[in-house]
Amino acid sequence: LFLHFGTMNGHAILYTGVTVAFWSTLLIVGICYTIFDLGFRFDVAWFLTETSPFMWANLGIGLAISLSVVGAAWGIYITGSSIIGGGVKAPRIKTKNLVSIIFCEAVAIYGIIMAIVISNMAEVSYSMFGAGLTVGFSNLFCGICVGIVGSGAALADAQNASLFVKILIVEIFGSAIGLFGVIVAILQTSKVKMGD
Amino acid sequence: MLGYKMSQIPGSALSFAVLFTLLFSGRCSHQVPLVMWSSEGHALPRHAPPLAGHTVSGPQLLSYLTAALSGAPHNVLLFLQDKLSMDDFTVFGGVFGNKQDSAFPNLESALQSSTFPLVLPALSWPDSSALPGMLQEQLGTAPLYLDPETLAQLRLNSSGVALLVFRLPYSTEADMMSPRAVLRGNDEVVGQVLNIMKAQGVPYTAVYTAVRPSRVIAEGSLDGESVGRSLLQASSNEPYPPVEFKRGESTCILLWAENLTVSHFREQWRRHELGPQTFGSSATVSLTGSSCNRTHSRLVLNYENVLGFRSFRLIFSMSQRYYSVSARNWFTMDQVELEYDGQRALFNGSRNIYAPTEYSYRCESVTSFRDALLAAHSLTDNATQWRLSFEEFQIQGFNVTGTQFSYASDCASFFTPGIWMGLVTSLLMLLVFTYGLHMIMQLRTMDRFDDPKGPAIAVPQNE
Repeated sequence: LFLHFGTMNGHAILYTGVTVAFWSTLLIVGICYTIFDLGFRFDVAWFLTETSPFMWANLGIGLAISLSVVGAAWGIYITGSSIIGGGVKAPRIKTKNLVSIIFCEAVAIYGIIMAIVISNMAEVSYSMFGAGLTVGFSNLFCGICVGIVGSGAALADAQNASLFVKILIVEIFGSAIGLFGVIVAILQTSKVKMGD
Repeated sequence: MLGYKMSQIPGSALSFAVLFTLLFSGRCSHQVPLVMWSSEGHALPRHAPPLAGHTVSGPQLLSYLTAALSGAPHNVLLFLQDKLSMDDFTVFGGVFGNKQDSAFPNLESALQSSTFPLVLPALSWPDSSALPGMLQEQLGTAPLYLDPETLAQLRLNSSGVALLVFRLPYSTEADMMSPRAVLRGNDEVVGQVLNIMKAQGVPYTAVYTAVRPSRVIAEGSLDGESVGRSLLQASSNEPYPPVEFKRGESTCILLWAENLTVSHFREQWRRHELGPQTFGSSATVSLTGSSCNRTHSRLVLNYENVLGFRSFRLIFSMSQRYYSVSARNWFTMDQVELEYDGQRALFNGSRNIYAPTEYSYRCESVTSFRDALLAAHSLTDNATQWRLSFEEFQIQGFNVTGTQFSYASDCASFFTPGIWMGLVTSLLMLLVFTYGLHMIMQLRTMDRFDDPKGPAIAVPQNE
């Protein structure tokens, strides 16, 4: 590994360095716990029960919106660059393919709605974290998916106008998975009031 | 207490330190002032006042008295206050330009109107309490303990010998009056007595002093920190051993705490500290009712007359068993009970008070109300009327070897929950940041069609 430093670029050196530091820290801490017979101190249950649920709740809210926005942004980036590139040669695709951008944007809107719904929950509980994670990750991948499909749609449309509508159907399926995430997150948050 | 080991100090430094402390130890402010004056027209003989800072000892006092009484009237009024220090004059004497606040106006006017009053600012304490005896010897008459009313009824002989002692208090019962008020009252008494004597036309010699000092400032020996530990230094906080419950010959349960405080709410919170009754040389606690076996330990501390309850018991119940996930034995403090006059209050401690069976549990603060480790079972339990607070609490109910605690598993971990939360959140942010940075650094501008030698791009004006 060290011999390859010369051929690596800056990223690789940084990442290998961080990885080595991380794993060696874990190794040394683990060795210390073992040597001093303090293994009982390593208590995940203690960590989960003692840390404040407020941290988890706010992490959930933050992740809900931020991961959704990352997904939307990524999708728009992918689709947008394809639309712009394809639009150079076939300007007619510009207006029609904005639909793909809107599908990506919808994902961000799901995220913000869920973030507001979760933050308005009266009872702070761990399900806020769960709901935020659910909607965040599902929107993230939904956004990427819609983006890639939309990019394909733009480029295909530039070649052959009849292809656009067919590919739009694929995009609709891709967008549905973001909606699934929102539904499950709503179920998670609503369970707090109904259940106990 | 200093952590120096005696073996680490070289011999010469050690002997120097011992000498130093021997010379300077015992320099404490155990001094009482004495003021002596005579009635107008009858002066005390001239005398050399004591040197400033000099503490007058017994024999010197005797010589002063002998000299004074040789020429003074032999009707001696001794105003003997319970306690007096020079600081009382400083604090209450109106010496900072506030004469109107002085608590000694009569004393001051008496001193001013007499010639050559004898003022001994520092009379060593044990000798000051011998003053009545000294005066008795000098005058050859027994002392008469009086108050102003009784004095008014006496007829004194101008040329006679009398020793009249007026005892003055320093503090009232239950400290209801401030020292200033008490001293003012005493000064009034002095004024009354002097007026009575003046009215009767009897010359007198008056002495105002006290039996013991009111402020005892123990100046420690010259600092031993720089020259080594002082051999004469006694530690104020004697460490005491833990409470031991023995089953047969071997110790079964150990308990130590700096203090065990219980508070009960009945119209208001009332506290009681059980520490002194439980630990140390003044312990009166009994452990009857305690039991221990391999899986359950119960330590019962029996007290009497706590917070108005005739019988009071503090019970710690612990149990231990094998937990398969961590594959070891743990013990938990299941309950902390208070039994008082037939009633019970239960606190649950198993959630937070636990440790591996081989070790003891130690926590700086085990309370039921502030960062509570002990919880009441329900809102209606008697436990809601009680507050427990144990400081520097250490307990071991199982696997006790010898009479000492095993390794103490502390309730405070290396990383507190707050630190962990901060670390987790920061790590998450760092991950996000790293990923974003990685993405941005991967962006490449298109350079496939770059032609540095070709013409620059022409952007048409119209669409």
